[in-house]
Amino acid sequence: MKVDIIDYESCSAAGINLSALRNSLRQHQSGLIKNNIPGSDLDTWIGAVGDIASVSDLGAWQSRNNALAALGYEQGTIKSTVAGLIGKYGAARIGLVMGSSTSSIDRTEEAYTRLTNENALTDAFKQPFVHNPHAPALFAAHLTGIKGPSLTINTACSSSAKVFATGARWLETGIVDAVLVGGVDTLCLSVLHGFNSLQLLSANPCKPFDQHRDGINLGEASGFAVLQRAGDNDNGRGIRLAGYGESSDAYHMSHPHPEGLGARLSMTQALERANLAPSDIDYINLHGTSSRANDLIEGKLISELFPDSVSCSSTKAWMGHTLGAAGITEAIIAMDTLHTHVIPGSKNLETLDEALSFPIKATDEHKVCHHVMTNSFGFGGNNCTLLFSRAE
Amino acid sequence: MQAKELKCKVAGVGAWGSYFENWLALRALLDGAPLPEDKLKGPKPGIIPANERRRAPLPVRLAVESSWQATQDADVEPNTLTCVFVSGLGDTDLTDYMCKTLASEHKELSPTKFHNSVHNAPAGYWTISTGTMSAANSVAGYQESVSLTLLEAMIQCETEQKPMLLTFYDAPVAEILQPVLPNQETFAFSLVVFPESAEMNGTLLTAKVEQREQTNWPVLNSSCDYLGKLYAENPAAKVLCLAESLSLPESEIAMPLSVGTALILSCEN
Repeated sequence: MKVDIIDYESCSAAGINLSALRNSLRQHQSGLIKNNIPGSDLDTWIGAVGDIASVSDLGAWQSRNNALAALGYEQGTIKSTVAGLIGKYGAARIGLVMGSSTSSIDRTEEAYTRLTNENALTDAFKQPFVHNPHAPALFAAHLTGIKGPSLTINTACSSSAKVFATGARWLETGIVDAVLVGGVDTLCLSVLHGFNSLQLLSANPCKPFDQHRDGINLGEASGFAVLQRAGDNDNGRGIRLAGYGESSDAYHMSHPHPEGLGARLSMTQALERANLAPSDIDYINLHGTSSRANDLIEGKLISELFPDSVSCSSTKAWMGHTLGAAGITEAIIAMDTLHTHVIPGSKNLETLDEALSFPIKATDEHKVCHHVMTNSFGFGGNNCTLLFSRAE
Repeated sequence: MQAKELKCKVAGVGAWGSYFENWLALRALLDGAPLPEDKLKGPKPGIIPANERRRAPLPVRLAVESSWQATQDADVEPNTLTCVFVSGLGDTDLTDYMCKTLASEHKELSPTKFHNSVHNAPAGYWTISTGTMSAANSVAGYQESVSLTLLEAMIQCETEQKPMLLTFYDAPVAEILQPVLPNQETFAFSLVVFPESAEMNGTLLTAKVEQREQTNWPVLNSSCDYLGKLYAENPAAKVLCLAESLSLPESEIAMPLSVGTALILSCEN
């Protein structure tokens, strides 16, 4: 079954909306800044969304994560697209699938800094709908008025890539007429100090695939996309979800499989599902975190699987690794090339890792793309690849 | 488009709780057997390598134990199954550990505890322990965790024509979070299901999504106080209403799915 992407929006340090993101990409202007998160003195760079602070009226739903979801939902035409679909099909015929890794742990962290003398939560933080891993979809259902099935996928950094696969399957069985998929993750002490404990943070702006890369930068983002069965609606942007692949490394909780077996499986699955050959792919937005291990393994895999005609880049130097929101953020960057005909260069790449040889460039490329891919790999060895095509 | 009816066959069941160490023992309790005198200590699934098992948190051990039992009951190789793991509350002991540490002056986190804190830790340990390279999803649905996971897995089983492992688990909540997430019970339950076309015996499950504004979880047939508390408090234990139906010749239950929908599930033996 064919699935169209009717609308999409992105909100990150590289741009509060899609239009600002396109500008940052064209200007090669990064949103990364020195870490200034209150309570954290870690020497690293972050991709923070300054405007989150303006969303402070969520009442019992308040959390940084929900605020970023609300801010993202206000951008572009997503909100009116969803309202139109609710009007057309009814709220119970619209599905919702959100991806996140932190959910709203930012709020739980804050709650623990304001406990009473008896170690109890203070009233403002007694928020059952916020302190649980389903918080992103619970809040998004409240925000959007969607009344159909609403699920949260929490598979670490592949979370909001997998939402597209789930959304497509829901459409295929006809349980809904449209699905709003999304991803949201926010900067908080858990992830900053957690990744620091694994010695994965860089004290410099990240340099994916560079010989001298020395770790990742964390970021925050929200993103949304609306999926419908092809033919059910006017597909103004002409973008189709052509395939997806989902796999497991079966190797280690926090280290990728040394030969990238799981990642290989998710890429080949996506190609098979789309009925395409590696040589059909015009652009791959890589997971490219700028960690020593990921980039080496992913880069080697690309050179094994794809011909030199494919253009590749990592865009994490623009907004950092946005974890559970990275899947949809990069899916949007990838699918948007089908619309803009500009492939972003791999920002901050100066000297390609000497162990790698594959077609990755620091400069932008102008070409009409027909098929583009994006990779997302997460802790627990959880992999997802998405493939988008121009709807012919 | 008319919604498809989703069908699958139950090939195996696994279960673990403080008073039952497998599906057989849980079924006996559901049928009215008296509660054992002693509470069981947490499960120690042998499938997790010993050095990893020592560091594996309770939700991981619960999920892996019941998953393993279901694959044994179904007599299938675990690594042939696509998985969906769900917990309504997540690992609140690790949330508690991280938030306490981060609220203190010394914010150094244990790297092992950090990577174990991801919601997909049970899926990760399961795939690593069994060599499963197929898709392993990890989802959350708060009080609707059970119905959403049945829907998600039955859709995947139907559209991809693949056998699936479904595992529902929730552990007792850390003290500080108890007032907002009041669960003190330990529970895990797993199903191995095959596409309807598979040549095998097993309960036939049929699911459909219906538009309904307000649906309550069905009342359990069991009058056991312990099972009642488990069913009321523990989001994963909401699957007990389905567990009861698995033994009946024919039954239909309605589960709340979302604000505007219910999952209607019928079982045929």
